[in-house]
Amino acid sequence: MWNELLFAFQSVATLPNFLAMFAGIWGGVIIGAIPGMTGTMAVTLALPFTFYLPPVTSILLLVALYKGSTYGGSISAILIKTPGTASAACTVLDGYPLARAGKGGKALNMALVSSCIGDFISNISLFFLAMPLAMFALRVGPPEFFMLMAFSLTIVASISGRSLVLGIISACLGLLLATVGEDIYGSYRFALSEDMKSGLGMVPVLIGLFALPELIKMIVFRSEENTEAMKLGDNRLTLSEFRGSLKSICRGSLIGVVLGAIPGIGPSTAAFFSYSEARRTSKNGDKFGEGELEGVAASESANNGACGATMIPLLALGVPGDVITGVMLGAFMIHGLTPGPLLFQNNLGEVYALFVGILFSSVFLFIAGKATAGAFTKISRIPQTLLLPCILILCVYGIYSIGASPFDVTVLLVMGVVGFAMMLLNIPAAPFLIAFILGPMFEDNMRRSLAISRGDLGVFFQSWISWGFFALTVLFVILTIRREWKKWREKRDATPTSAS
Amino acid sequence: MNQNRDFYAGLVATAFFALVLFVLIPIYVKVPSFIPGFAPPPDMWPRVVAIIGFVMGVLALVLAFPKMRETSKHQVTGLGGNIHRHKVLIARFVGVLVLFAAFVYGLPVIGFVPATVLLLGVLFIMTGNFERKFWMFGLTIIFPVLLYLLFTEVTHTPFPEGMLFSNSLSNLITLI
Repeated sequence: MWNELLFAFQSVATLPNFLAMFAGIWGGVIIGAIPGMTGTMAVTLALPFTFYLPPVTSILLLVALYKGSTYGGSISAILIKTPGTASAACTVLDGYPLARAGKGGKALNMALVSSCIGDFISNISLFFLAMPLAMFALRVGPPEFFMLMAFSLTIVASISGRSLVLGIISACLGLLLATVGEDIYGSYRFALSEDMKSGLGMVPVLIGLFALPELIKMIVFRSEENTEAMKLGDNRLTLSEFRGSLKSICRGSLIGVVLGAIPGIGPSTAAFFSYSEARRTSKNGDKFGEGELEGVAASESANNGACGATMIPLLALGVPGDVITGVMLGAFMIHGLTPGPLLFQNNLGEVYALFVGILFSSVFLFIAGKATAGAFTKISRIPQTLLLPCILILCVYGIYSIGASPFDVTVLLVMGVVGFAMMLLNIPAAPFLIAFILGPMFEDNMRRSLAISRGDLGVFFQSWISWGFFALTVLFVILTIRREWKKWREKRDATPTSAS
Repeated sequence: MNQNRDFYAGLVATAFFALVLFVLIPIYVKVPSFIPGFAPPPDMWPRVVAIIGFVMGVLALVLAFPKMRETSKHQVTGLGGNIHRHKVLIARFVGVLVLFAAFVYGLPVIGFVPATVLLLGVLFIMTGNFERKFWMFGLTIIFPVLLYLLFTEVTHTPFPEGMLFSNSLSNLITLI
């Protein structure tokens, strides 16, 4: 094994491979930072270039683009409240308040460090645990998926802020909008126009809900605080801040690895799951959503942790977990490599070379991220009256480019108005976001499970994985009810005292 | 103010989810006559969500009502009074809505680039801050054109030319 590893190291440590990885990471970071341009787009655009490159260099370029774009999404999420990718949506919750408080650079540094650690742990697990994780992933069917989604949705309770009732209303709105379009059996729901038959795009909805309300608020209220540029403050990440978030980073990375290995889950679910866990266990849990570095660390470590792990089912079983790994499967096939168990027998040299190369990519991610973070932080210096209208135009172009559909632009603008109305009514946007992303997976897997079992609810309790998630869900619901009850009693006891 | 907001949030949520439950689902969620095997019908999930949303809306109303009544003992401001007091803010918000609607409907007519140039220009004006006129004017023209070039060159996105300008505008931009 060690001889093969040494040989793999020698074959990877070449200038073309390093250049490909560096270009991929750099390009990915920039593309991920542009709202509307996604990692999928970057990987797809780069695919034709790989025809002329050796197999390992090609795959390393694509993997680097994927990782770079996943981190890049956090840059726009933190600085301009615009999640460049769905997986960065969770980073907005704490990243943007930090940027508003003049700690944008600190948040970017935390995002970078936690992304790199998540990425590194993910790469190590790809190296050592590819087979066992792939076998575990195979045991996760629709019922287990459903239970996992149910548990993930309980995060709504912890990010509802002041009022749990308003948080649930927001989540219901997200769940409802996620049902628009064609369902898994081909029935159309809420298709008020021809365009709505294909549903509402995730990126226009997310960007509309988060980025636009700030612009509308600035135009309507014209308050002084919005016309000034954001303060930069001290951008260095201190050791104590890093140490305070280390637990969440490690946990987030592991969550990313386990969930990323399951086909179909992807980095965004991992980010929400990790954020939820960090909020539950952190001593600063109450500050999450108001600008807590640990929140950024939790979501970023998980979404980058899931990146490398999505390669596990692809390499070990030949099963692409998402669209990006689907494109990568194509790249493997073009170069005559067939992912799956046979790959480890017939092309072990290439597999080890890939593993070593992917490990290098974490280092490149840190270098590229560090270099670009400084430049991107300067965005904060632009006055909001110039910045926010330009962000809208950038979003309009980016979103139109996804599907060349004016309908997506309409969705963006309408969601901006909806987001502003929610802001006025004090309805939190975060539960909407989670429900909109997880809702379709929750419903599809529930319907699939019931279809498989011919309506028998027992299907949800047939494996220990389902039981585990069910127990966690019940436990969390009980804890939430207890917390709300205590809050209500404290309020009730405080009222007569304050009145007297 | 918070109690008022909670009340209005409950009111809007109740009305919205009632509309979904009693009007939109019966009309816009078609249940096929045959569903293979046992599969829950397509209207089951939206109905469950709408019912939960409706109940939560009513709950928000109920929870906000006593506190709102308590607050109104000290200060009475009707809805009409509120609208009158905030008429400038409401006018600005309506202005944003009109601008967005004009952009969506004007886009196929005048084309993507001119529409975004106009949108950006009007947005700058609507911010009400004219300290950086030079930057505003420059960005209004240059920024959308740069984005147009970036997206057409990198992603080959076919942006609508507009019925008024056809190909001439994009040719001009490409030449520049």
